[in-house]
Amino acid sequence: MSELSQYAILFGLSVGVFGFVLSLYGLARAIGRTRSEPGKGVPATAGTLSRDPVWVRYHARYAGYALLFLAFDMEMAFMYPWAVVYREEGLIALLDMGVFLSILFLGLLYGWSQGALRRQ
Amino acid sequence: MSIVVVLLSLAAGAYALAVIERWAVHGHLSLTGPAWAALALLGRESLLARKSDRLFFELGPVLLLVAGLMAVAVIPLAPGLIITDLATGALFLNAALAYVLVALIMAGWGPNGAYAMIAGWRFLGQFIAYAMLIVMPITAVAMRAESLSTVEIVASQEQLWNVLYQPMGFILFVVAAMGLAWLPPLDLPDATGELAGGVEAEYTGVRLAVLRLARMVIILALAGATVTFYLGGWLGPWLPGWAWSAIKILAVAAAMLSVGRYMPRIREARYLALSWKLGISLALANIFVVGVIALVVPI
Repeated sequence: MSELSQYAILFGLSVGVFGFVLSLYGLARAIGRTRSEPGKGVPATAGTLSRDPVWVRYHARYAGYALLFLAFDMEMAFMYPWAVVYREEGLIALLDMGVFLSILFLGLLYGWSQGALRRQ
Repeated sequence: MSIVVVLLSLAAGAYALAVIERWAVHGHLSLTGPAWAALALLGRESLLARKSDRLFFELGPVLLLVAGLMAVAVIPLAPGLIITDLATGALFLNAALAYVLVALIMAGWGPNGAYAMIAGWRFLGQFIAYAMLIVMPITAVAMRAESLSTVEIVASQEQLWNVLYQPMGFILFVVAAMGLAWLPPLDLPDATGELAGGVEAEYTGVRLAVLRLARMVIILALAGATVTFYLGGWLGPWLPGWAWSAIKILAVAAAMLSVGRYMPRIREARYLALSWKLGISLALANIFVVGVIALVVPI
């Protein structure tokens, strides 16, 4: 199977999921309809509307982790191709990536020492 | 042909998993229970919260199901029994499962409810905790197999399963997979006791049925990934390949589901600290150890 037809299958499956969900909705509608009555639309907040709007600023207290995560996530983009050719390249590959990874690990330790690995 | 077989076995697996979940979490073994529960969900009213973001609210569960199905598509159940044997299968699995985060944040943002909102953002924190521990152990697996194709990865474990070759990676991957599927004790986005169901709080009726189904598919995909990467996939004596895959996948899923019964829920801050201070260090050490072994030992 060629690469293109494989991705066509995956795309077809994604579209098929929408069809499946729509048919489930149709089945549910055939069983019974939703009656619109006052008070049904109140979100689950102890039965009353919340005093303040909900779509507000949320404190992302894991910001320090998130910055480190960006660095590590970029690094993983290099790791996958390296992993595939690792055994062919042998010791050179181990040393190359060893230097790279140890610098990254030192970065993690530095971040840790500066308090990045803490929920602020 | 194999697509139909995989999809049918996915449906059967999701049902079996629902039976197992009931048994592992509540201690009741009922073969017909999930069918009645699903029918009841379809019969119930599916409400829409007032002033909701309709697009996100509707698309969240569907995107979750799409993500789960894409992940299942690259998991081999037997030689030739796979939807698409992509050359970059292991990477594709990561890419598909990244949408779990997007879908949950959409489902949390959509209904304009406080609990769902907090739960959605909380899952973003959980993502930062588990994400690296999904990708790093897979790197070590790819190093041994010299390929990202999931079929090749299973074939590389002919002589020794990866669970014995790299046990540290196995443990890290399973724990991270439980975080990804928000299984207890890592069920921060739908923490039943404190967030009233979290992202599931505003979903009712058929929409909740789709959300639950999607989660089952994701758990199956992760159990399948664990089996493919670490437990030798379809490899095994006496029984045919597909039987081994089914037994292993359901056993891994049952084990992941039952852990929550014996452990309290972990706090987000503690989970983040543990996975970055301990988890990442162990994962890097795992890559290094596997690198040395892969150069010294020819298998």
